[in-house]
Amino acid sequence: MLISDLESDRRAGRSSGNRLCETCVEVLDVSGAGIMLMTDGEHRGTFGVSNATISVVEELQFTLGEGPCIDAFNTKQPVFEPNLVEPNVNRWPAFSGPAVAAGVGAVFGFPLISATPPLGALDIYLHQPGVLDADQVTDAIALAAVIATSVLALQADALPGMLAPEIDSSLDHRAVVHQASGMVSAQLDIGVGSALARIRAHAYTESRAINDVAREILNRQLLLH
Amino acid sequence: MTQRETLLTETFVTLADTMVSDFDVVEFLSLLSSRCVDLFGAGEAGLMLADASGHMHLAASSSHQMQLLELLEIQHDEGPCPDAYRTGRPVLCDDLRNATERWPTFAPAALTAGFRSAHALPMRLRDDVIGSLNLIRTAPGRLPVDDVAVAQALADVATIGILHHRAAKESELLTEQLQYALTSRVIIEQAKGVVAHQLNLDMDGAFNRLRRYSRDHNQRLVDTAQSVVDRSLYATALKAE
Repeated sequence: MLISDLESDRRAGRSSGNRLCETCVEVLDVSGAGIMLMTDGEHRGTFGVSNATISVVEELQFTLGEGPCIDAFNTKQPVFEPNLVEPNVNRWPAFSGPAVAAGVGAVFGFPLISATPPLGALDIYLHQPGVLDADQVTDAIALAAVIATSVLALQADALPGMLAPEIDSSLDHRAVVHQASGMVSAQLDIGVGSALARIRAHAYTESRAINDVAREILNRQLLLH
Repeated sequence: MTQRETLLTETFVTLADTMVSDFDVVEFLSLLSSRCVDLFGAGEAGLMLADASGHMHLAASSSHQMQLLELLEIQHDEGPCPDAYRTGRPVLCDDLRNATERWPTFAPAALTAGFRSAHALPMRLRDDVIGSLNLIRTAPGRLPVDDVAVAQALADVATIGILHHRAAKESELLTEQLQYALTSRVIIEQAKGVVAHQLNLDMDGAFNRLRRYSRDHNQRLVDTAQSVVDRSLYATALKAE
């Protein structure tokens, strides 16, 4: 059974973020899965993805600070949006349009709970709008628990105060954004939280990748105000 | 149902409840010990847990009578409890008068205290044995087979509760460490950006300054970084490598 394979991978320390996501896709029979690590309600790094579309879902959530993973983390409950194309309630006004354009018809978030607070969330999407049946939901919750345990097992082997290498490298990708937040906060004499909000707003209104915006800030090619 | 069956069912339900909500290990084990006395007739019960080197320590007992506590505590290395722990099998002694060779310290002490029989059930889950449940009685004779089975079941419930609690504690600790490490990484990157602006440096240059300062002042890098981010430390205070 796939879950016990995952368990023995975990015990042997062999699990990798992408492989966990691919397994989720197989077990759940969905279009894609991604694993987001979070602290303080913020997306800190993508630990794994199963395909390019879910990478876009992760990217949007990092840039916009809204989406299924953010809600799943904050509420500590699974989040279901079976019809992102025509939702009953448009809970993610900035996220929905671009996500649908990227090929997402339905999207779901499951918190990675091992202790409190959660470690992050598992996001799952369907190419067409649709629901997850009871078995899929039960399995997704079980997989989220296994992922949480796997991430903790990786961290257990890390040096004190340091991140496990595989987790650390999930954060590398976003280092520029945090560096840019620091730079903007010093330039404008505002807090880093506000600085990040301005960088996000710029990326969103200019329809640019947040990492590109960050790099321009660091190169002194872009000055926000 | 008989009164005993009712008590037994109620014990399992209470134990299950305790495991789910705010789990207090000591309360859980004390409850278990006193229920054992109720269920198996006159006598006392104690729970011993093994430490990292395999020595038994008293975790809970059915009463705080000094004599009982001492009787349980002297089973540090010898007695029905350590035997059950080491072998992972029940140890059933009908008459302690025949056990003075086997347990030269425990048996005489127990007899002096008025006890004639001792039973110990291992607390185990698959290959993990974490301690044992001790039942000592004033009457000689073996516990009936059914009672031994029930006692073993209670020991099993206790084991699951404790292992579950330990795993939860470990997860909590690891989660805190992970959160701290994730947040630290973010703060350090932010600090690099602040320093880069204040001193007109690139990221490597900024990082070197932070690292030098934290070493010179015997601080954790994340603490230096946090001071820079909240502006209690200005980059001009950071010397070059």
